[in-house]
Amino acid sequence: MHTKDHKVLVANRGEIAIRIVQACLKLGLEFVCVYTAEDAASGHVRIAREKGGEKSLYRIASYQDANELLAVADDSGATAIHPGYGFFAEDYRFARRVAQRENKLIFIGPSWRVIRELGDKINTKRLARSLGVPTVPGSDKPIYDEMEAEKVARQLFEFQEEQGIERPLVLVKASAGGGGMGIEEVYDIDLFKSVYRRIRNYSLRQFSDEGVLIEQRVLDFNHLEVQVVSDRSGKNPVHFGTRNCSIQSTGLQKRLEIAPGFDPSALQYSFDAQKVLDDITEHSLAMARKVGYDNVGTWEWIVTRDGRPFLMEVNTRIQVENGVSAMISRIRGEKGVDLISEQIRIGLGEPLGYTQQDVTFEGVGIEYRLIAENPDNKFTPWVGCIEQFGWEQEDWFQMHTHVPTDMPYDIPTEFDPNLALAIIWGKDLAHVKERGIEFLDKLRLEGANKAGEALKSNVNFLRAKTPVILKF
Amino acid sequence: MLDITKLLEEIKASPYEEVVIRAPHTGLVHFADVAEGTRVVGPTGMWKEIPGTRIATMEREHNPKPIVAHEKGVISKVHTELEGRFVEAGTPLVHLRHFLSKDEVLGIILKKALYLFNAPERAKYYFAPDADKKIKASGPKAVTVHDGQELFIMSRMKREAALNYSGPEGVIYAVYFQHNENVDAGAPLIGVCPPDQVGLIEDVVIRVQTEWIEQD
Repeated sequence: MHTKDHKVLVANRGEIAIRIVQACLKLGLEFVCVYTAEDAASGHVRIAREKGGEKSLYRIASYQDANELLAVADDSGATAIHPGYGFFAEDYRFARRVAQRENKLIFIGPSWRVIRELGDKINTKRLARSLGVPTVPGSDKPIYDEMEAEKVARQLFEFQEEQGIERPLVLVKASAGGGGMGIEEVYDIDLFKSVYRRIRNYSLRQFSDEGVLIEQRVLDFNHLEVQVVSDRSGKNPVHFGTRNCSIQSTGLQKRLEIAPGFDPSALQYSFDAQKVLDDITEHSLAMARKVGYDNVGTWEWIVTRDGRPFLMEVNTRIQVENGVSAMISRIRGEKGVDLISEQIRIGLGEPLGYTQQDVTFEGVGIEYRLIAENPDNKFTPWVGCIEQFGWEQEDWFQMHTHVPTDMPYDIPTEFDPNLALAIIWGKDLAHVKERGIEFLDKLRLEGANKAGEALKSNVNFLRAKTPVILKF
Repeated sequence: MLDITKLLEEIKASPYEEVVIRAPHTGLVHFADVAEGTRVVGPTGMWKEIPGTRIATMEREHNPKPIVAHEKGVISKVHTELEGRFVEAGTPLVHLRHFLSKDEVLGIILKKALYLFNAPERAKYYFAPDADKKIKASGPKAVTVHDGQELFIMSRMKREAALNYSGPEGVIYAVYFQHNENVDAGAPLIGVCPPDQVGLIEDVVIRVQTEWIEQD
């Protein structure tokens, strides 16, 4: 089947659904979108209606119901499913079902075996250790038993004390969680049990799984990522550089992402930053080759103050921040790299068509996540109506949003409160910072809630953090 | 003071509510043998183990699922134009005129008699672990609440926050939210019966039990 003959079901919402529709249009592919009753006013519904008409839109009961997605795929004649990020993106059972059901479809993402192998944080750690790739100390399987959990935590405390760490700390994570949700820190072994129980109950409510991971918490680190892209052969992965995602909310969710991961040409580091970047890309590609990685994915690293990288996990999906890597990447010197259309193209079976030598980088990129939230109060989401949202478009930034700019928009409470992604490009670090501030200064974002209180957003937080990006 | 007689008379004057049965999800619809005027029943049996009258079958992924009546009543409209078609989630299938049962009438009147603690925001609500344990073991009436008590977990946008109860001390007489379902801002979460209202509430229960005649 020729790539152009495919029809893609967009199994997601909001910003990423819009990006997938745009990528389909660019590639000349048909598409079909889904939405729930709460999301009827979302931008992805609008673009689907404009570009594909009513027949390209289905109202479903839930984005998390696989039967809904597959029933719509069949009724609409879709041949491939793009899961976006979140929801089913890293669910190997879903990917397997899509690929193995009677009416077989293409899952636009890594093949299910790869997702199963790397989607499990524990298995990833084991694989990494077998290749000599350093990983964060901690439990190597999800823990369902309180006694066992306490034992692991105790060992980690003892290990850190032996290392001479002044204030040892362990991290309790929901095994099935992600995106910074369901993570808490414990300083005191006596408090461990109550935190463990809270995370276990949270995980059960949100993810229907009681498994909990316990890890050593590394303080004073930078969070780096390597963007990997590989076609269905799984043999020739290339990387699209590194990103630095260290600026996060208190709930450990990313707020600013910068590409590249460090900038040794503009800043002084206490370690060899270029070597760290080279090491993590090399390690990531080695792992990708080992598992036969066959789509887009991200290797997530933490880098300690002394310049030691540890692999944290692999995200077997396109990530929110993919655009910032694309912004500074060039394929054979050409601008306009779009990792989502690359993902769809190779997902449908086309060969990559270029090698690592063809991928070059130019300048520095910042991605701002614009969110209605209150950074002064633990980044609590703000709920209400957005009345004014606008910006003056320049050729050095991209805006990705599902929020309409020509009419008021009530933020639905069912999903994450992300409003938009703004991706800024500058020829070097100083340039991109200047442009970033200029963008934020000119942005119009106003609204009010039912009580008449003004919209709260993280714009000031983003502005305050811009001068310190990439410093470590 | 609550006028129970007047409330009962009002409900008796219009003893039913219109219920729309919608497609719970996407799928192919095949209506069962129902038409305008057909009497249907909700689940019956001691444990409600016998499902209600089948109204339609919805099929998706080779998996037919019966759509049954959850209340008893008389069908007032069937969307027969949808027969054999693939419908979206939320599409109305059947309209039902449902006659109120004793428990429902009691619920309506109690909602006026109890102190209602409302949801401050649209979110999903859960009882805090202590209260949850007691309610699961012995029902909501086993829990006495007081002003300032941490009683709920409010969950929205995947973030959770504790919510304190505010209002008079009393026992939880009614719970109006369901597990994993969103509650709109201002909708009641629980109905609390303060100690000085126990007499009135018991009176309501007795009056409804004796005076309301359920229609078949």
